[in-house]
Amino acid sequence: MPTARPAGEPGRFHLLAGDPPLALALDGSRLYAIDRDLHDALMGGDATAAARLEAMIGSVPPGADDFHDVGAPTALSLNVAQACNLACGYCYADKGQFGGRARMMPREVALAAVDRLIDGADGRRVTLGFIGGEPFLNRALIHEAVEHAAARAARAGIAIGFSVTTNGSMLTAADHELIRRHSFAVTVSLDGGPSLHDRHRRHHDGAGSFAGIAEAMAPLLAAPGKAKIAARASVTRDDLRVRARLDGLTALGFREAGVSPVRTGPDPSLVFQAQDWQPFLREMIAAAEAEWRRVAAGGERRFSNLWSAVTQIHRGSARPLPCGSAVSYLSLGADGTYYSCHRTIDDRRFALGTTREGPDRAGRLDFIRSRHVDRQEPCASCWARYLCGGGCHAEVVSAGRMGCDYIRGWLEYCIRIYDRVLRRRPELLS
Amino acid sequence: MAEKIFPRNLTARAAAVIAGNPVNTRLESGVGNCFPGLEFDVRNLDRRFFPGLVFNFGTLPVVLYAIERDDPALEPQPGDDEATRRAIPALSSAVRRAFDRLGAAGGHWELVRLAQGGRKIDTVSQEVFDGDGGNVWRLVRSLERDQVTITLKWAADGATARARKATAETIELTHYRRRFIDPDRGTISPVYRPGELTQSLCSPWQHDFRDCSCNYWASNHPDIVLAEDPLGTGELPSGASADPQLATQPLDWLRADRSSRVIASPVDGENDQRRLRHYQINQEWAGLAFVLEGKEISAVYAPRDETFAKPFDTSDDLVQELASLCQLEHVVALEYLYAYFSLREPDERGMARKLSDDLLYARHEILGVAISEMRHLRWANQLIWSLEQRGMVKNRVGPELRPAENVPGPNGSRPRALRPLTPEVLADFIAIERPSGTLDGAYARVISTLRSGYPEVLLQLARQIAADGMDHYSRFCEIQLILKPYDAKAGKSPPPYLRPIKPASSEEAKTAIDLYTGILGDLEAAYKLGDMEEASSILDARKKMTELETAANALASKGLGVPFF
Repeated sequence: MPTARPAGEPGRFHLLAGDPPLALALDGSRLYAIDRDLHDALMGGDATAAARLEAMIGSVPPGADDFHDVGAPTALSLNVAQACNLACGYCYADKGQFGGRARMMPREVALAAVDRLIDGADGRRVTLGFIGGEPFLNRALIHEAVEHAAARAARAGIAIGFSVTTNGSMLTAADHELIRRHSFAVTVSLDGGPSLHDRHRRHHDGAGSFAGIAEAMAPLLAAPGKAKIAARASVTRDDLRVRARLDGLTALGFREAGVSPVRTGPDPSLVFQAQDWQPFLREMIAAAEAEWRRVAAGGERRFSNLWSAVTQIHRGSARPLPCGSAVSYLSLGADGTYYSCHRTIDDRRFALGTTREGPDRAGRLDFIRSRHVDRQEPCASCWARYLCGGGCHAEVVSAGRMGCDYIRGWLEYCIRIYDRVLRRRPELLS
Repeated sequence: MAEKIFPRNLTARAAAVIAGNPVNTRLESGVGNCFPGLEFDVRNLDRRFFPGLVFNFGTLPVVLYAIERDDPALEPQPGDDEATRRAIPALSSAVRRAFDRLGAAGGHWELVRLAQGGRKIDTVSQEVFDGDGGNVWRLVRSLERDQVTITLKWAADGATARARKATAETIELTHYRRRFIDPDRGTISPVYRPGELTQSLCSPWQHDFRDCSCNYWASNHPDIVLAEDPLGTGELPSGASADPQLATQPLDWLRADRSSRVIASPVDGENDQRRLRHYQINQEWAGLAFVLEGKEISAVYAPRDETFAKPFDTSDDLVQELASLCQLEHVVALEYLYAYFSLREPDERGMARKLSDDLLYARHEILGVAISEMRHLRWANQLIWSLEQRGMVKNRVGPELRPAENVPGPNGSRPRALRPLTPEVLADFIAIERPSGTLDGAYARVISTLRSGYPEVLLQLARQIAADGMDHYSRFCEIQLILKPYDAKAGKSPPPYLRPIKPASSEEAKTAIDLYTGILGDLEAAYKLGDMEEASSILDARKKMTELETAANALASKGLGVPFF
């Protein structure tokens, strides 16, 4: 839903029509309701109105515009198994092997990286994640690394959190217990109910994986303890439905679920193309509307894409980068090389040091400096740049910036719904 | 064109710079004690009541303390009418002419007379003003924004009283009493220096803290507290100590012996003996305990785990429970009210002073508890309407204004009953209100349900109701303590604090019952609107409540109680 451009844009603010009309001041991502007269004057092309609005919203002291230094990372994911028991048609990791050969992370590599993470924490909370492939193919190492890290963090007086991204098919009772005991944040890759899921997420022999996952996950979903269990569905261009996926995941017992479009992958028939973004946006909005109807009536929040955006808007998050990749977060490949994140494992363009020397500080600085959203085009002239951050580094490199209209449309929708949340259920934002 | 923008999200709100002081610095946010005060000392305003002059009310006679030659009040001010504007130049020039003389060395000027509107008051008599310049300040405070004439008298330093009298020089000046607040902007005149209005405030954590005679500190000074649970001893789910003694014995917060478990005395002087001395409080104030939920705490506070109670499955089940709680609050309020009217009136002719005092107290307390239950009735209804208005409930049940048929107690449920406040009935009331007894315990499931997926404000409301139970319990215990001596003396005859009372017939109580029915009708109308509450029904209900009290008292004087049910 592109908005007509009023006088003053692109500039320091972005205007959203509606009731009430809203203005987003780009610096500080500050959101204001404005009166209708002012809105109409702005939309009517009154240049002095833009100046008046700019004068009213003023400016906030600039945040860290440039990066002078980066500290030791506080989040690390270990690619403990560059192999997978599934063979999903769209996998960015090329069936978990990231374009290389299947391999497991050696114990010494993992523990050395864990020690380095905790020793460099300097009092800050750290997060240790496990990814793959399917990380539970290397179950023993996960268990050992968690116990080792928890003990070392306790000795150092450091708070530590754990996370894992898994297909959920291999979890055992011992894994459930580990996840509960250490309050894991678990993300399970599931595309929806049985038929939606099994369409692309299959075993190597072609059999669907849904039933096995449902069985392996059931005890954890029924009694998660303090662990946070969320599902994340990949949306392929052959089936853009969002709400159906969320409903399927909710039916399985997930209290939180989100979706992400497949932007890169080995099978072009599944990867999003330019014409897919507009219908996908409609799907997202329909799902969000259904979610809001439920939440406005007192229900729990489930659709994580919506609520993370709403929370970000509420906080006025204004960031020059899309994520913490290379700044506070790194990922470790099975061979002991640090990469900018779990999406760039084994891509030498994103290599940032090894466990032997530690993360490459100069390399990380170069990486983020060159990717500052103000230095990218078309980002530098986009109103949404500080909410979006410029898009996933890995995807931008391999597929360019796609779906920018979708991102702007979704953000406009989320800003609008934020205003409704603020009025109807403000306690959700506190 | 008055264009406006309204900050919405956190960064926008943080960036908004609004002229004026933040809301928490305004007087209306304060506890309202204005002298010496905790936020500002109103006496400091009146020091400058007369344009160009500054007085000190710390002595009697009050003395002229300083001269303010550039006082803006010597010029016409915004809000002044035409007559005032015309009069000010001449009055100001007389004041200015006097400045040099008023600033003379070698003595000081005393304020000896105030005159306004044809009335004159001499302000020097030690007897009239009890030796206290503060009493002259009260007069100054009552001056109107109009012309005031002051008389100042010279008192030479070191002169004897006789010499002073012989050389008495006086100056009479007239001007408008200062307009303290700018009528357009609501600001205080810039003639007040930074810090001037707050310079004589009460000082927490110092001598003021123990010697405050008005007992009017804000929450940083609890008076009476409950002891901390010793390590390893339990708490009831409500948060009350499992040890009934700890749960109910009030301690003086300022006690010097922090481990003392001596019960705080209702007589303030007795507690004073055991409090931190002055030198101690200066040095040991940090040892005073934090108090949370009425209890001292030295460890890290952990919110109570309320998961012991099983949450309701649906909002509809929750609302059903709330409706029955409304009925319960309602019926106990009526039982307490009936008992209240069974107590004799303290101003009966010929009543012994002690009995009169005790009745005054007991009546005040039981009425207080009854009113608190009425408030709970409203809050429980508020919980219902909040859920209903948010569309969280399928079947609407509110407002719920019927009294329950039965009252649950520690020994099971009993039929509701209108009874005079005999010792047995009082014991029954105490049992109902005992911490984690039947009433506050009944809210446990409500609280447990509201903890997740409901607006926080509803949870707070339910917690407040549950917490009030503790207060009701101690108030009833106090009444018991005070009335007990009479029971022993009375033996088998009725205690002297009661009047024989039995339920009136519906004919006799028609006025009272009509009022009661009317009150319920008004409340129903108001609660139906819920958050869009319309004030007039509430005002009507309040008016009828006052009338009901009069009617019920009239019945009680004839030995009749209101047959609420």
